[in-house]
Amino acid sequence: MVRLADMPDIDAQHLRDKPCPQLPKAWVPAKPLNERRFALVTTAGIGRRDDEGFGFHTNDYRVIPNDVDSGELVMTHNSVNFDRSGFQQDLNIALPIDRFKELADRGTIKGVGTHHYSFMGATTEPLDYEPTARKVAGHLKADGVDTVFITPI
Amino acid sequence: MSALAYFLEDEGIATTGISLVREHTEQMQPPRFLWVPFPLGRPLGVPGNPEFQHDVIAAALNLLDSHAGPVLADFERDAPPSGEPEASWSCPVSFGGPKREATTLVEEVAAEVRELAPWYALSREKHGRTTVGASGLEIDAARTLVASVLTLSDADEFDVLKFKYAIEDLKAYYLEAAAASPGADINVNTWLWRETALTRMIRELADLHRDSPREDLRTLIASGFVPREFR
Repeated sequence: MVRLADMPDIDAQHLRDKPCPQLPKAWVPAKPLNERRFALVTTAGIGRRDDEGFGFHTNDYRVIPNDVDSGELVMTHNSVNFDRSGFQQDLNIALPIDRFKELADRGTIKGVGTHHYSFMGATTEPLDYEPTARKVAGHLKADGVDTVFITPI
Repeated sequence: MSALAYFLEDEGIATTGISLVREHTEQMQPPRFLWVPFPLGRPLGVPGNPEFQHDVIAAALNLLDSHAGPVLADFERDAPPSGEPEASWSCPVSFGGPKREATTLVEEVAAEVRELAPWYALSREKHGRTTVGASGLEIDAARTLVASVLTLSDADEFDVLKFKYAIEDLKAYYLEAAAASPGADINVNTWLWRETALTRMIRELADLHRDSPREDLRTLIASGFVPREFR
């Protein structure tokens, strides 16, 4: 459905106009899933109710504890051009915290980090995320996380 | 999103995840992503369906077994309907025309908020949570704030983000209320933007302030106010 050719022209053109620089290569070698400790990173503009909401064109992030009550989370993403009703019904549609806890409980993965991280996508230039992404990488490593599952919105 | 993946991977953290716009991921070539054929806003496909969500996640996790990249794989299945399959959704409250007791658009919105209140409460109970609250205001205060911008003067103090979050809270309140009824699906957005006084008010606000001397308000109206498909 979200191939640009299948979208309304006005939406497709908007997305075509987004800057998409080709990235340098980076690659972490494979290892078994059950040896991996995961965290989630999303660009859905999710934060805790008491957090400051996301502003425009921002590369900052919010920290979401793994044991957060889903009722504590709200979305302050700038864009109105996506469906929010799925997120309103089920946090896991955008931030699958419960699904990853289930994978850890089953032993499919080694575990889940104590924190997840939310950025705001869509209006920020991709390479502007570098300083905050590298900072988050430091937090993740300190938490013993070696693998991240990324979701857009 | 692709850039985040690159920077994390460059720091030694393996990444995989979901791509909703395949063309962007093709161009940027992050390490590993799974493209999914779902609508924007639904990267895991369907709310309230853990089994399907696990299938999507498993397909993305499989990419971690690759020995070289970049890898961009496709998830071939469409999302199943999220509403109750036998139900045909209709909004629990009919907003076919101006409320009899309401003489202004502001009063019409107030009446809608009142009529939706029991459905919103039901939805909170059903889902065990609400996403209303980004502005930090109660719903009537959010409604009052948004309505006040109809008469905003250039000299008035104004917090554009609080205004935006108040609008988002009102939309979330409406959509959560609508989702309390059987069969609710993504089509609740069409109801919101085609049939409610709230979105008529949002459009009126856009018309009023499109050329505002306040740059932040102009920016908001130009880019983050009415979805392109409903303009």
